[in-house]
Amino acid sequence: MKKIAIGCGVLVVLGLILLALVAIGGYNKLVRLGQQTDSAWAQVQTDYQRRMDLIPNLVATVSGAADFEKSTLTQITEARASVGKVNFDGKASLSDPAQLAAFDQAQSQLSSALSRLLVVVERYPDLKSSANFLELQAQLEGTENRIAVARRDFNDAVQKYDTAIKSFPAVWYAAAMGFHEKPYFNAAPGAETAPKVQFDFNKAAATPAKP
Amino acid sequence: MIAGKKLVVLGCWLLSFAALGREVIPAMPAQYFNDYAHVVPQATVAQLNTKLEDFERTTGNQVVVAIYPKMRSDSSIDDYAVRVFRAWKVGEKDKNNGAVLFVFVDDRKMFIEVGYGLEGALPDATCKQITEFEIKPHFKTGDYGGGLTAGVNAILAATQHEYKGTGTTVYASHAGHNQNWSTIIFVVIFVGVMLLQFLFRGVSRRHGWLYSGGGWGGYSGGGFSSGSSSGFMGGGGSTGGGGAGSSW
Repeated sequence: MKKIAIGCGVLVVLGLILLALVAIGGYNKLVRLGQQTDSAWAQVQTDYQRRMDLIPNLVATVSGAADFEKSTLTQITEARASVGKVNFDGKASLSDPAQLAAFDQAQSQLSSALSRLLVVVERYPDLKSSANFLELQAQLEGTENRIAVARRDFNDAVQKYDTAIKSFPAVWYAAAMGFHEKPYFNAAPGAETAPKVQFDFNKAAATPAKP
Repeated sequence: MIAGKKLVVLGCWLLSFAALGREVIPAMPAQYFNDYAHVVPQATVAQLNTKLEDFERTTGNQVVVAIYPKMRSDSSIDDYAVRVFRAWKVGEKDKNNGAVLFVFVDDRKMFIEVGYGLEGALPDATCKQITEFEIKPHFKTGDYGGGLTAGVNAILAATQHEYKGTGTTVYASHAGHNQNWSTIIFVVIFVGVMLLQFLFRGVSRRHGWLYSGGGWGGYSGGGFSSGSSSGFMGGGGSTGGGGAGSSW
Protein backbone atom coordinates (compact mmCIF):
# COMPACT_ATOMS: atom_id res chain seq x y z
CA MET A 1 0.00 0.00 0.00
CA LYS A 2 2.70 2.42 1.01
CA LYS A 3 4.72 1.57 -2.05
CA ILE A 4 1.80 2.43 -4.35
CA ALA A 5 1.36 5.82 -2.61
CA ILE A 6 5.04 6.62 -3.16
CA GLY A 7 4.67 5.54 -6.76
CA CYS A 8 1.74 7.92 -7.25
CA GLY A 9 3.70 10.79 -5.70
CA VAL A 10 6.59 10.16 -8.04
CA LEU A 11 4.22 10.13 -11.01
CA VAL A 12 2.70 13.49 -10.01
CA VAL A 13 6.13 15.09 -9.66
CA LEU A 14 7.16 13.64 -13.01
CA GLY A 15 3.95 15.04 -14.53
CA LEU A 16 4.70 18.53 -13.21
CA ILE A 17 8.25 18.39 -14.52
CA LEU A 18 6.91 17.30 -17.88
CA LEU A 19 4.43 20.21 -17.91
CA ALA A 20 7.20 22.70 -17.11
CA LEU A 21 9.34 21.21 -19.86
CA VAL A 22 6.48 21.56 -22.34
CA ALA A 23 5.95 25.21 -21.34
CA ILE A 24 9.64 26.03 -21.67
CA GLY A 25 9.76 24.17 -24.97
CA GLY A 26 6.76 26.14 -26.23
CA TYR A 27 8.36 29.44 -25.29
CA ASN A 28 11.68 28.49 -26.83
CA LYS A 29 9.91 27.45 -29.99
CA LEU A 30 8.33 30.90 -30.31
CA VAL A 31 11.71 32.55 -29.73
CA ARG A 32 13.30 30.34 -32.36
CA LEU A 33 10.55 30.99 -34.91
CA GLY A 34 10.72 34.72 -34.18
CA GLN A 35 14.44 34.73 -34.81
CA GLN A 36 13.98 32.78 -38.00
CA THR A 37 11.68 35.52 -39.29
CA ASP A 38 14.33 38.10 -38.36
CA SER A 39 17.07 36.28 -40.20
CA ALA A 40 14.81 35.67 -43.20
CA TRP A 41 14.10 39.38 -43.17
CA ALA A 42 17.79 40.21 -43.02
CA GLN A 43 18.27 38.09 -46.15
CA VAL A 44 15.47 39.98 -47.91
CA GLN A 45 17.17 43.26 -47.10
CA THR A 46 20.58 42.00 -48.17
CA ASP A 47 19.19 41.00 -51.53
CA TYR A 48 17.39 44.28 -52.07
CA GLN A 49 20.53 46.14 -51.07
CA ARG A 50 22.50 44.10 -53.55
CA ARG A 51 20.17 45.30 -56.25
CA MET A 52 20.50 48.91 -55.09
CA ASP A 53 24.28 48.56 -55.37
CA LEU A 54 24.07 47.22 -58.91
CA ILE A 55 22.04 50.11 -60.23
CA PRO A 56 24.71 52.86 -60.49
CA ASN A 57 26.87 50.50 -62.52
CA LEU A 58 23.95 49.51 -64.72
CA VAL A 59 22.94 53.09 -65.33
CA ALA A 60 26.52 54.07 -66.14
CA THR A 61 26.90 51.22 -68.64
CA VAL A 62 23.60 51.90 -70.34
CA SER A 63 23.91 55.67 -70.48
CA GLY A 64 27.26 55.20 -72.19
CA ALA A 65 25.40 53.85 -75.22
CA ALA A 66 24.80 56.57 -77.74
CA ASP A 67 21.35 58.18 -77.76
CA PHE A 68 19.94 55.84 -75.13
CA GLU A 69 16.46 56.85 -74.00
CA LYS A 70 17.04 59.11 -71.07
CA SER A 71 13.50 58.82 -69.67
CA THR A 72 13.97 55.15 -68.74
CA LEU A 73 17.15 55.93 -66.87
CA THR A 74 15.54 58.84 -65.07
CA GLN A 75 12.74 56.56 -63.91
CA ILE A 76 15.25 54.12 -62.46
CA THR A 77 17.23 56.78 -60.68
CA GLU A 78 14.03 58.25 -59.24
CA ALA A 79 12.71 54.88 -58.16
CA ARG A 80 16.02 54.09 -56.49
CA ALA A 81 15.93 57.42 -54.67
CA SER A 82 12.40 56.79 -53.44
CA VAL A 83 13.45 53.41 -52.04
CA GLY A 84 16.10 55.25 -50.08
CA LYS A 85 13.47 57.62 -48.72
CA VAL A 86 11.29 54.91 -47.24
CA ASN A 87 12.08 55.06 -43.58
CA PHE A 88 12.34 51.44 -42.73
CA ASP A 89 14.34 50.32 -39.80
CA GLY A 90 14.15 46.55 -39.61
CA LYS A 91 12.72 45.03 -36.48
CA ALA A 92 10.50 47.81 -35.15
CA SER A 93 8.82 48.33 -38.50
CA LEU A 94 8.46 44.64 -39.19
CA SER A 95 5.40 44.40 -36.97
CA ASP A 96 3.73 47.27 -38.81
CA PRO A 97 1.89 46.11 -41.96
CA ALA A 98 1.63 49.68 -43.32
CA GLN A 99 5.41 50.19 -43.20
CA LEU A 100 6.09 46.83 -44.81
CA ALA A 101 3.59 47.73 -47.55
CA ALA A 102 5.33 51.10 -48.13
CA PHE A 103 8.71 49.38 -48.38
CA ASP A 104 7.28 46.80 -50.75
CA GLN A 105 5.63 49.52 -52.86
CA ALA A 106 8.90 51.42 -53.30
CA GLN A 107 10.86 48.26 -54.15
CA SER A 108 8.29 47.11 -56.69
CA GLN A 109 8.44 50.48 -58.46
CA LEU A 110 12.15 49.97 -58.80
CA SER A 111 11.54 46.42 -60.06
CA SER A 112 9.24 47.58 -62.81
CA ALA A 113 11.56 50.44 -63.79
CA LEU A 114 14.39 47.90 -64.13
CA SER A 115 12.37 45.49 -66.20
CA ARG A 116 11.32 48.37 -68.47
CA LEU A 117 14.97 49.22 -68.95
CA LEU A 118 15.75 45.67 -69.99
CA VAL A 119 12.94 45.75 -72.51
CA VAL A 120 14.26 49.01 -73.94
CA VAL A 121 17.79 47.61 -74.19
CA GLU A 122 16.46 45.04 -76.67
CA ARG A 123 16.39 47.87 -79.20
CA TYR A 124 20.14 48.48 -78.83
CA PRO A 125 21.91 45.41 -80.24
CA ASP A 126 25.43 46.77 -79.66
CA LEU A 127 24.74 47.52 -76.02
CA LYS A 128 22.88 44.27 -75.53
CA SER A 129 25.83 42.19 -76.73
CA SER A 130 28.57 44.13 -74.95
CA ALA A 131 30.48 42.05 -72.42
CA ASN A 132 29.93 44.61 -69.71
CA PHE A 133 26.18 44.56 -70.15
CA LEU A 134 26.01 40.76 -70.33
CA GLU A 135 27.72 40.59 -66.97
CA LEU A 136 25.42 43.16 -65.44
CA GLN A 137 22.42 41.37 -66.85
CA ALA A 138 23.52 38.09 -65.25
CA GLN A 139 24.04 39.85 -61.93
CA LEU A 140 20.71 41.61 -62.09
CA GLU A 141 18.89 38.44 -63.04
CA GLY A 142 20.58 36.54 -60.21
CA THR A 143 19.67 39.29 -57.78
CA GLU A 144 16.04 39.21 -58.82
CA ASN A 145 16.06 35.43 -58.31
CA ARG A 146 17.55 35.86 -54.86
CA ILE A 147 14.98 38.48 -53.97
CA ALA A 148 12.17 36.16 -55.03
CA VAL A 149 13.65 33.30 -52.98
CA ALA A 150 14.28 35.49 -49.93
CA ARG A 151 10.76 36.91 -50.02
CA ARG A 152 9.28 33.45 -50.20
CA ASP A 153 11.49 32.24 -47.35
CA PHE A 154 10.47 35.27 -45.31
CA ASN A 155 6.79 34.61 -45.92
CA ASP A 156 7.24 30.96 -44.97
CA ALA A 157 9.03 31.92 -41.75
CA VAL A 158 6.36 34.47 -40.83
CA GLN A 159 3.61 32.01 -41.61
CA LYS A 160 5.17 29.43 -39.28
CA TYR A 161 5.61 32.06 -36.57
CA ASP A 162 2.08 33.43 -36.90
CA THR A 163 0.61 29.95 -36.88
CA ALA A 164 2.58 29.11 -33.75
CA ILE A 165 1.45 32.15 -31.76
CA LYS A 166 -2.15 31.61 -32.80
CA SER A 167 -2.18 27.92 -31.90
CA PHE A 168 -3.19 26.37 -28.63
CA PRO A 169 -1.77 26.71 -25.99
CA ALA A 170 0.55 29.54 -27.09
CA VAL A 171 -2.44 31.71 -27.97
CA TRP A 172 -2.99 32.22 -24.21
CA TYR A 173 0.44 33.54 -23.36
CA ALA A 174 2.11 34.65 -26.60
CA ALA A 175 0.83 38.24 -26.53
CA ALA A 176 1.60 38.59 -22.83
CA MET A 177 5.17 37.50 -23.48
CA GLY A 178 5.60 40.00 -26.28
CA PHE A 179 5.03 37.78 -29.30
CA HIS A 180 2.87 39.65 -31.78
CA GLU A 181 1.65 38.72 -35.21
CA LYS A 182 3.93 39.77 -38.07
CA PRO A 183 2.87 40.88 -41.54
CA TYR A 184 3.83 39.09 -44.74
CA PHE A 185 4.62 40.31 -48.20
CA ASN A 186 1.59 40.26 -50.45
CA ALA A 187 1.50 37.12 -52.52
CA ALA A 188 1.73 38.60 -56.00
CA PRO A 189 2.66 42.27 -56.03
CA GLY A 190 4.60 43.71 -58.95
CA ALA A 191 7.94 42.95 -57.34
CA GLU A 192 7.43 39.22 -57.45
CA THR A 193 6.09 38.85 -60.97
CA ALA A 194 7.43 41.81 -62.95
CA PRO A 195 11.18 41.12 -62.80
CA LYS A 196 10.79 37.55 -64.02
CA VAL A 197 12.35 38.62 -67.29
CA GLN A 198 14.06 35.75 -69.04
CA PHE A 199 17.24 37.04 -70.60
CA ASP A 200 17.44 34.87 -73.64
CA PHE A 201 20.48 35.79 -75.62
CA ASN A 202 19.17 34.44 -78.88
CA LYS A 203 15.70 35.09 -80.16
CA ALA A 204 15.15 31.52 -81.34
CA ALA A 205 15.31 30.14 -77.83
CA ALA A 206 12.91 32.78 -76.50
CA THR A 207 9.97 30.67 -77.59
CA PRO A 208 9.72 27.63 -75.33
CA ALA A 209 10.70 24.35 -76.88
CA LYS A 210 7.84 22.09 -77.79
CA PRO A 211 7.31 19.11 -75.50
CA MET B 1 19.01 3.13 -45.19
CA ILE B 2 18.07 2.94 -48.86
CA ALA B 3 14.44 2.30 -47.99
CA GLY B 4 14.50 5.25 -45.57
CA LYS B 5 16.01 7.48 -48.21
CA LYS B 6 13.38 6.45 -50.68
CA LEU B 7 10.67 7.19 -48.17
CA VAL B 8 12.03 10.68 -47.54
CA VAL B 9 12.22 11.31 -51.25
CA LEU B 10 8.68 10.06 -51.69
CA GLY B 11 7.56 12.33 -48.86
CA CYS B 12 9.24 15.35 -50.45
CA TRP B 13 7.74 14.46 -53.74
CA LEU B 14 4.23 14.12 -52.32
CA LEU B 15 4.60 17.39 -50.43
CA SER B 16 5.75 19.29 -53.47
CA PHE B 17 3.02 17.67 -55.48
CA ALA B 18 0.37 18.83 -53.06
CA ALA B 19 1.76 22.36 -52.81
CA LEU B 20 2.55 23.12 -56.41
CA GLY B 21 0.23 21.06 -58.49
CA ARG B 22 2.06 19.42 -61.32
CA GLU B 23 5.62 20.02 -60.29
CA VAL B 24 7.83 17.00 -59.67
CA ILE B 25 10.98 17.27 -57.59
CA PRO B 26 13.24 14.45 -58.76
CA ALA B 27 14.78 12.06 -56.25
CA MET B 28 18.23 12.84 -54.91
CA PRO B 29 20.62 11.43 -57.51
CA ALA B 30 22.78 8.47 -56.58
CA GLN B 31 25.86 9.75 -58.38
CA TYR B 32 27.64 13.03 -59.02
CA PHE B 33 27.15 12.91 -62.75
CA ASN B 34 23.65 11.75 -63.65
CA ASP B 35 22.60 11.44 -67.25
CA TYR B 36 18.91 10.54 -67.10
CA ALA B 37 18.46 11.71 -70.70
CA HIS B 38 21.16 9.36 -72.09
CA VAL B 39 22.90 11.95 -74.22
CA VAL B 40 26.46 11.60 -72.89
CA PRO B 41 28.81 8.72 -73.84
CA GLN B 42 29.28 6.17 -71.03
CA ALA B 43 33.03 6.74 -70.82
CA THR B 44 32.56 10.48 -70.32
CA VAL B 45 29.91 9.86 -67.65
CA ALA B 46 32.24 7.59 -65.70
CA GLN B 47 35.21 9.89 -66.07
CA LEU B 48 33.36 13.05 -64.94
CA ASN B 49 31.67 11.19 -62.11
CA THR B 50 35.02 10.08 -60.71
CA LYS B 51 36.36 13.58 -61.13
CA LEU B 52 33.48 15.12 -59.18
CA GLU B 53 33.72 12.53 -56.42
CA ASP B 54 37.45 13.18 -56.06
CA PHE B 55 36.65 16.87 -55.99
CA GLU B 56 34.45 16.42 -52.92
CA ARG B 57 37.23 14.44 -51.23
CA THR B 58 39.85 17.10 -51.84
CA THR B 59 37.82 20.31 -51.51
CA GLY B 60 34.63 19.30 -49.70
CA ASN B 61 32.60 21.02 -52.43
CA GLN B 62 29.70 18.99 -53.75
CA VAL B 63 29.28 19.61 -57.46
CA VAL B 64 26.52 17.61 -59.11
CA VAL B 65 25.42 17.36 -62.73
CA ALA B 66 21.85 16.27 -63.46
CA ILE B 67 20.64 15.85 -67.01
CA TYR B 68 16.94 15.23 -67.52
CA PRO B 69 14.92 14.93 -70.70
CA LYS B 70 12.31 17.45 -69.54
CA MET B 71 11.63 19.87 -66.73
CA ARG B 72 8.60 18.65 -64.83
CA SER B 73 7.35 21.97 -63.58
CA ASP B 74 5.47 25.01 -64.81
CA SER B 75 7.82 27.37 -62.98
CA SER B 76 10.82 29.08 -64.48
CA ILE B 77 14.04 27.10 -64.42
CA ASP B 78 15.72 29.30 -61.78
CA ASP B 79 12.75 28.86 -59.44
CA TYR B 80 12.59 25.14 -59.97
CA ALA B 81 16.36 24.76 -59.54
CA VAL B 82 16.16 26.33 -56.07
CA ARG B 83 13.51 23.88 -54.93
CA VAL B 84 15.30 20.83 -56.32
CA PHE B 85 18.63 21.95 -54.86
CA ARG B 86 17.06 22.44 -51.45
CA ALA B 87 15.37 19.06 -51.61
CA TRP B 88 18.70 17.39 -52.35
CA LYS B 89 20.59 19.50 -49.77
CA VAL B 90 23.73 19.71 -51.87
CA GLY B 91 26.81 20.95 -50.03
CA GLU B 92 27.92 20.64 -46.43
CA LYS B 93 25.49 21.90 -43.81
CA ASP B 94 27.73 24.54 -42.26
CA LYS B 95 29.38 25.64 -45.52
CA ASN B 96 26.60 25.36 -48.08
CA ASN B 97 29.35 24.61 -50.60
CA GLY B 98 27.30 22.91 -53.27
CA ALA B 99 26.54 23.58 -56.90
CA VAL B 100 24.27 21.75 -59.33
CA LEU B 101 24.34 21.99 -63.09
CA PHE B 102 20.85 21.20 -64.32
CA VAL B 103 20.31 20.35 -67.98
CA PHE B 104 16.89 19.79 -69.53
CA VAL B 105 17.62 18.47 -72.98
CA ASP B 106 14.19 18.73 -74.63
CA ASP B 107 13.57 22.17 -73.14
CA ARG B 108 17.04 23.21 -74.37
CA LYS B 109 17.68 24.90 -71.06
CA MET B 110 20.41 24.66 -68.44
CA PHE B 111 21.07 26.33 -65.12
CA ILE B 112 23.91 26.34 -62.61
CA GLU B 113 22.38 26.62 -59.15
CA VAL B 114 24.92 27.74 -56.56
CA GLY B 115 24.77 27.23 -52.79
CA TYR B 116 25.30 30.19 -50.45
CA GLY B 117 28.86 29.15 -49.70
CA LEU B 118 30.07 29.12 -53.30
CA GLU B 119 28.48 32.39 -54.38
CA GLY B 120 31.82 34.11 -53.92
CA ALA B 121 33.71 31.69 -56.16
CA LEU B 122 30.87 31.23 -58.62
CA PRO B 123 29.10 34.57 -58.96
CA ASP B 124 26.18 34.82 -61.36
CA ALA B 125 28.29 36.44 -64.05
CA THR B 126 30.77 33.54 -63.96
CA CYS B 127 27.95 31.01 -64.15
CA LYS B 128 26.53 32.86 -67.12
CA GLN B 129 29.92 32.82 -68.82
CA ILE B 130 30.26 29.09 -68.22
CA THR B 131 26.84 28.19 -69.58
CA GLU B 132 26.98 30.72 -72.40
CA PHE B 133 30.53 30.35 -73.65
CA GLU B 134 31.85 27.01 -72.35
CA ILE B 135 28.84 24.74 -72.63
CA LYS B 136 26.39 26.25 -75.09
CA PRO B 137 28.61 26.18 -78.21
CA HIS B 138 29.05 22.40 -77.75
CA PHE B 139 25.36 21.82 -77.04
CA LYS B 140 24.41 23.66 -80.22
CA THR B 141 26.26 21.07 -82.27
CA GLY B 142 24.76 18.23 -80.22
CA ASP B 143 28.05 17.48 -78.45
CA TYR B 144 26.71 17.04 -74.91
CA GLY B 145 29.75 15.15 -73.68
CA GLY B 146 32.12 17.89 -74.82
CA GLY B 147 29.93 20.67 -73.43
CA LEU B 148 29.57 19.06 -70.03
CA THR B 149 33.28 18.23 -69.81
CA ALA B 150 34.10 21.88 -70.50
CA GLY B 151 31.39 23.06 -68.09
CA VAL B 152 32.45 20.75 -65.25
CA ASN B 153 36.10 21.74 -65.70
CA ALA B 154 35.18 25.42 -65.56
CA ILE B 155 33.07 24.98 -62.41
CA LEU B 156 35.80 22.99 -60.68
CA ALA B 157 38.46 25.50 -61.70
CA ALA B 158 36.40 28.35 -60.23
CA THR B 159 35.65 26.66 -56.92
CA GLN B 160 38.74 24.56 -56.18
CA HIS B 161 40.43 26.97 -53.76
CA GLU B 162 37.35 27.89 -51.73
CA TYR B 163 37.40 25.19 -49.06
CA LYS B 164 39.50 22.28 -47.89
CA GLY B 165 38.17 18.76 -48.05
CA THR B 166 38.32 16.05 -45.43
CA GLY B 167 39.49 13.28 -47.73
CA THR B 168 36.11 11.62 -47.67
CA THR B 169 32.60 12.22 -48.96
CA VAL B 170 29.29 12.76 -47.21
CA TYR B 171 28.10 9.47 -48.67
CA ALA B 172 31.07 7.49 -47.38
CA SER B 173 31.03 9.00 -43.91
CA HIS B 174 27.26 8.76 -43.65
CA ALA B 175 27.29 4.98 -43.88
CA GLY B 176 29.56 4.90 -40.83
CA HIS B 177 27.51 7.45 -38.92
CA ASN B 178 24.32 5.57 -39.44
CA GLN B 179 25.90 2.51 -37.95
CA ASN B 180 26.93 4.56 -34.94
CA TRP B 181 23.42 5.87 -34.60
CA SER B 182 21.85 2.46 -34.68
CA THR B 183 24.32 1.38 -31.99
CA ILE B 184 23.41 4.39 -29.84
CA ILE B 185 19.69 3.79 -30.29
CA PHE B 186 20.17 0.15 -29.42
CA VAL B 187 22.05 1.03 -26.24
CA VAL B 188 19.46 3.66 -25.25
CA ILE B 189 16.59 1.21 -25.72
CA PHE B 190 18.47 -1.50 -23.85
CA VAL B 191 19.31 0.75 -20.91
CA GLY B 192 15.73 2.12 -20.90
CA VAL B 193 14.29 -1.37 -20.69
CA MET B 194 16.65 -2.29 -17.87
CA LEU B 195 15.69 0.87 -15.96
CA LEU B 196 11.99 0.24 -16.45
CA GLN B 197 12.39 -3.27 -15.19
CA PHE B 198 14.25 -2.01 -12.16
CA LEU B 199 11.56 0.60 -11.40
CA PHE B 200 8.63 -1.71 -11.87
CA ARG B 201 10.13 -4.60 -9.99
CA GLY B 202 8.51 -3.47 -6.73
CA VAL B 203 5.06 -2.95 -8.24
CA SER B 204 4.75 -6.08 -10.27
CA ARG B 205 6.45 -9.43 -9.99
CA ARG B 206 5.26 -10.41 -13.45
CA HIS B 207 7.73 -8.68 -15.72
CA GLY B 208 7.78 -11.11 -18.59
CA TRP B 209 6.32 -8.64 -21.09
CA LEU B 210 9.12 -6.19 -20.57
CA TYR B 211 11.70 -8.66 -21.74
CA SER B 212 10.18 -8.80 -25.19
CA GLY B 213 11.52 -5.30 -25.86
CA GLY B 214 15.07 -6.52 -25.47
CA GLY B 215 15.20 -8.06 -28.90
CA TRP B 216 14.57 -4.79 -30.73
CA GLY B 217 17.94 -3.35 -31.58
CA GLY B 218 18.68 -6.58 -33.32
CA TYR B 219 21.62 -5.12 -35.21
CA SER B 220 19.77 -5.50 -38.47
CA GLY B 221 21.23 -2.14 -39.43
CA GLY B 222 24.74 -3.48 -39.61
CA GLY B 223 24.60 -4.69 -43.18
CA PHE B 224 23.75 -1.54 -45.07
CA SER B 225 27.24 -0.20 -45.48
CA SER B 226 28.43 -3.40 -47.06
CA GLY B 227 28.11 -1.92 -50.59
CA SER B 228 30.78 0.30 -52.09
CA SER B 229 31.27 3.67 -50.42
CA SER B 230 30.99 5.34 -53.77
CA GLY B 231 28.03 7.55 -54.53
CA PHE B 232 26.55 10.95 -53.90
CA MET B 233 24.62 12.12 -50.88
CA GLY B 234 23.64 15.69 -50.01
CA GLY B 235 25.31 17.07 -46.90
CA GLY B 236 22.58 19.44 -45.73
CA GLY B 237 23.51 22.51 -47.79
CA SER B 238 21.12 25.16 -49.05
CA THR B 239 20.87 27.86 -51.68
CA GLY B 240 19.36 31.30 -51.91
CA GLY B 241 18.83 31.43 -55.65
CA GLY B 242 22.37 32.18 -56.80
CA GLY B 243 23.59 31.13 -60.22
CA ALA B 244 22.67 31.63 -63.84
CA GLY B 245 21.71 29.65 -66.89
CA SER B 246 21.32 29.70 -70.64
CA SER B 247 19.11 28.36 -73.37
CA TRP B 248 20.50 26.91 -76.54
